[in-house]
Amino acid sequence: MGTLTYLLRRILQIPVVLVVTTLTIFIVVRATPGDPVELVLGMQTSPDAVEALRVKFHLDKPLYQQYLIWLWDVLHGDLGSSVRLNRPVTQMLGERLWVSLQLATAAMLFALIVSIPLGIVAAIRRNTWVDYVATGYTVLGFSIPNFALALILIYVFSVTLDWLPITGIGSSTTRGGGVWKFISPFILPAIALGTVQTAYLGRLLRSSMIDVLSQDYIRTARAKGLKPLVVITIHALKNAMIPFVTMVAIHFGYLIGIQITIEYIFAIPGMGLAVLTAVVNRDFPVIQGFTLVIAVFFLLVNMIADMLYTLLDPRIRY
Amino acid sequence: MAEPQSLKLPADAGTQLVFRSGVYLASQQFMRNYAALVGFVILFLFCLAAVLAEWLSPYDPTLLKLSVKLQPPSLSHWMGTDFFGRDIFTRVIWGGRVSLLVALMVVFYSVMVGVPIGLLSGFIGGKLDNVLMRVMDAFLTFPPLLLAVAIVGLMGPDLKNVVIALAIVQVPVFARIVRSSTLSAREEVYIVAARALGASPFRIVFSGILRNIVSPIVVQITIVFAGAIVAEASLSFLGLGSQPPDPSWGRDLSDARRYMSDAPWLLIGPILAIMMCVLSINFIGDGLRDSLDPRTWRARTAKKDQIMVPEGVGTSA
Repeated sequence: MGTLTYLLRRILQIPVVLVVTTLTIFIVVRATPGDPVELVLGMQTSPDAVEALRVKFHLDKPLYQQYLIWLWDVLHGDLGSSVRLNRPVTQMLGERLWVSLQLATAAMLFALIVSIPLGIVAAIRRNTWVDYVATGYTVLGFSIPNFALALILIYVFSVTLDWLPITGIGSSTTRGGGVWKFISPFILPAIALGTVQTAYLGRLLRSSMIDVLSQDYIRTARAKGLKPLVVITIHALKNAMIPFVTMVAIHFGYLIGIQITIEYIFAIPGMGLAVLTAVVNRDFPVIQGFTLVIAVFFLLVNMIADMLYTLLDPRIRY
Repeated sequence: MAEPQSLKLPADAGTQLVFRSGVYLASQQFMRNYAALVGFVILFLFCLAAVLAEWLSPYDPTLLKLSVKLQPPSLSHWMGTDFFGRDIFTRVIWGGRVSLLVALMVVFYSVMVGVPIGLLSGFIGGKLDNVLMRVMDAFLTFPPLLLAVAIVGLMGPDLKNVVIALAIVQVPVFARIVRSSTLSAREEVYIVAARALGASPFRIVFSGILRNIVSPIVVQITIVFAGAIVAEASLSFLGLGSQPPDPSWGRDLSDARRYMSDAPWLLIGPILAIMMCVLSINFIGDGLRDSLDPRTWRARTAKKDQIMVPEGVGTSA
């Protein structure tokens, strides 16, 4: 199968996946107890007000019609508005996604800064104490939950040393306060969030480096007298990066999916917390909208990862 | 286990070949992996503590005793006490019961639902496979923790709902793995032979396929088990899981966060417990992966006691 056919098939699958996810959430929201309108208006309001709100959100119509109306609006670029905040869902989504992307980028930067040297050095000094220390680090990195690490970091760097702020991402006070004022609130959340990725990516790069370093063309490069640094960076690293880059793409999406505890601790107004509040308040237009956008986002991330794979390694054909 | 059968070869072969069961060989391999063994011992101790929590813990996990609140670690309170004067060590032991039980149930339910779906999908194939896998794909698209948060949030914060949510999230993972293993196992000669001999589909699936795809399932179980412990802690930390005053590692950490500047030692117990649990399960998982895959150990074993690997074990790619 050619790459183009494969891509086309993937794109055709997207609507199916989207309908399945949104319909599932739609049914779960309706099947679980708790009336959003009553939650918003409270018990004391007049039946007329309740009825008006019900009509406004199409809650008076049968279930399948509600879903179809929602779908129709989505196709026209309208995700409705929040029951609770009376704001358009698209606007909320934009803000939240932007913050989440910033945090994920910061965490991924941290992961790259640590994992690339870690992977290279561990591969070159394979089976020496350097490698064992690196392995020990990755093992620990895998087993500490990000929110536990976040608490330790806060205790050390904010409570005890008072070097870094705990909160500040996405808040208005950091605007216009210079570069440090903007960057500093990202440091602790990025480390807490990205540490698992440093372990994962570091281990991945180590094994693919070891793989590449045992290839014939590396021996040739060494034999013809190239400097070790040139061999390692230009010949080996370039090829070892293929699986690495794909995983970076996948893990970037993954970072957004696991942010929620970090957002909770550092009071970051990102996607995760938005989902949590919407779900607790049964703010169904927001839940539906976020489900859709998150599903689209992750479908795209997976597709980009696949495409990167074929682009970087011409041997792979679907 | 019965005595291993011995088989005399013609004299010129010079060696005696011993046939041993796959389980025996795998467990022997597992015992040689020290990290896995240590992990197994630690996890066993955690399980033991969870089962014997009533007798092992020095105090009552939920008893309020304000006269000893926020005490640093001492001989009478190994990990200190929290804001309500509850002994942290006791709560870590009881929290382990919650964590391990939740993780165990998540594994149980996701295997019970995911494995049959994967078997059906892989064995029957066709339209059913297509429909089942598209649904599974849709679930896999969504980040697992976020999906679990959404489900628990909608159903209401409760440990029972945490189990349901985490199991729902893991079902597609098992279904995918079992499906792909079934697809390759289905083409093996022994399955074709069983089919030719007229074995019922039921028999083929259960004694033919399922028995031969146990190892990927077992390895995945360890991954899900460790993941469920972290996920339960995360959900409880967010206030969606175990409710106060019940002990839970995640819940206790979110309490500890509030008194961080006055009583940082409150963090130590729960964090250490989660890390040790996850670490030991990861070690066990790595050990199982190696010991269940004969391709990785044939050379090492052959040198030691000339064991012949039973035909057909691990030869399916």
